[in-house]
Amino acid sequence: MRDLQPSLNQTQRVRLQSALRQLHSLPSSSSSLLYSVAVAVAVAVADPIHVNHEDNILKGHGTLDCDGEVVATLCGVVERVNKLVYVHALQARYKPEVGDIIVGRVIEIAPKRWRLEINFSQVAVLMLSSMNLPDGIQRRRTAVDELNMRSIFEENDVICAEVRGFQHDGSLHLQARSQKYGKLERGQLLTVPAYLVKRRKKHFHHLEQYGVDLIIGCNGFIWVGEHVEAGENVGMLVEDQKKTSIAEEESGSFTPLETRKHICRIANAVRLLSALGFTLTVEAIVDTAEASLASNIEINDMLGAKLFVQTVEREVQRRASMVRKKG
Amino acid sequence: MVGLSEGEKHFIRGGIAQDLRSDGRKRLQFRSISVETGVIPQANGSARVRLGATDVIASIKAELGKPSILRPDKGKVSIFVDCSPTAAPMFEGRGGEELSNDLSVALQRCLLGGTSGAGAGIDLSSLIIVDGKVCWDLYIDGLVISSDGNLLDALAAAIKVALSNTGIPKVSVLGASSDEQPDVDVSDEEFLQFDTSGVPVIVTLTKVGRHYIVDATSEEESQMSSAISVSVNRRGQICGLTKRGGAGLDPSVVLDMISVANSVSQQLITVLDSEIAAAEASEE
Repeated sequence: MRDLQPSLNQTQRVRLQSALRQLHSLPSSSSSLLYSVAVAVAVAVADPIHVNHEDNILKGHGTLDCDGEVVATLCGVVERVNKLVYVHALQARYKPEVGDIIVGRVIEIAPKRWRLEINFSQVAVLMLSSMNLPDGIQRRRTAVDELNMRSIFEENDVICAEVRGFQHDGSLHLQARSQKYGKLERGQLLTVPAYLVKRRKKHFHHLEQYGVDLIIGCNGFIWVGEHVEAGENVGMLVEDQKKTSIAEEESGSFTPLETRKHICRIANAVRLLSALGFTLTVEAIVDTAEASLASNIEINDMLGAKLFVQTVEREVQRRASMVRKKG
Repeated sequence: MVGLSEGEKHFIRGGIAQDLRSDGRKRLQFRSISVETGVIPQANGSARVRLGATDVIASIKAELGKPSILRPDKGKVSIFVDCSPTAAPMFEGRGGEELSNDLSVALQRCLLGGTSGAGAGIDLSSLIIVDGKVCWDLYIDGLVISSDGNLLDALAAAIKVALSNTGIPKVSVLGASSDEQPDVDVSDEEFLQFDTSGVPVIVTLTKVGRHYIVDATSEEESQMSSAISVSVNRRGQICGLTKRGGAGLDPSVVLDMISVANSVSQQLITVLDSEIAAAEASEE
């Protein structure tokens, strides 16, 4: 549990301790269930890994052959697949794969490309040719298009895109050709550790009952914002936008209060789950938000002690019921 | 600090206008405060205050020294703030110096009163041992570990709690020669607790658009036009005032902000007092 340490009273502390103990004893829904390993062996750096020296095992990631002994070089869990032994790091930077949906922030505009910050060791690149033009026509990008790049995305804009591939030096290439990718406005961006986001079939979620768009980027950037129809995303010229935002402020047409309440509630649910270290799935986030509504907890109290303990206990029940179903 | 896109800035401004900020707080609500005392055992007093993601430590060391000639009946206090590079990359090397200086000066103004020592929140005459010869020098150091806005309020709260945690050793004066330094015997066992009922707290009001907010996060601070930090003591009296930001403020707006800060500060003082009492109770 990081960042969030609400002050718990005595009963809450006792409940939290017992819930955490139960969580440790229950297996989580990770690969350890599938491989039917009896106990997950946790290692730290320079811990020896127990191997049978007769088989010629393959030493995978995170291991090192040190004087005939196999030693771990990462802190994590030892995984074995047939003859391969490797250390699966529990907390690591984002490891991109082709086809991942990510949310990033533009940090630089370079000739014919944008450079995005995506919580990776290197900067990701979005080429001008991988981006739909505002007028929607498929054509060659001319020099005028290159000069008008800033009218599509500016510095510090938040963009949703997909990983297209890797460059030879390891940096990422992105593409944002579909209508659902593009600039994200009218909402807030949250940062969580990347290992809490697992790859799923859907990363764009439109929560109808709240009117809120939830985009869970695989790199740990999560966007919670007002719902925008796909197709309105791309193609807003910056000058128009500046004019409308000043006009909007004068006429007071900010995000309506009801939607804003839902956005804040979902955002706080994400913050709470990331502070507890639970995997971020849509179901978990919506469950937490609904539980807070059901318990009549104010939005700003969601990060307090009551919902904290409640969420841990609900997770215990969920895992216990999962184990019962499997067994 | 990472930049914000126009859409995000618009969202923040809208939230402040509609009285529902990004984390659900109202405009005049503080984040949850968590206080720890005695974090630095070698210091005479220390405290760590967490205000959301802002994390600061204040430590107080007392050393024997000579009072200044102009004020022979008062001890000396010096406040210094250091922004650690772990708080933000821009604080590396000498990057945090300007901010540290600003914070130190603002804290000195609010807690120590004028240059003559008049009107200090900390009672300097309680630090004197022998008039004109020996006094206590208090060195108050603030360290910013993590910065997410509202550093001044967090530092002032940390200093207040650290002062309540401070134990000044009892001193007995031996030998009273007229001109030379008298010998003093510093006790290791007995300690005098500092009286912090007169120490003020600081409340910073940040003006964004047409509204003011209390306890801004660093994202909200990036949208501010101006900010006023008001230092208020328990009796509701104003002990210091600092304005930041280049935008001008109408005098009526300034008076309104001061009165809002006054009412908010009373809640903050109540919260801090209960935390101090809880910390003292847990020590015993």
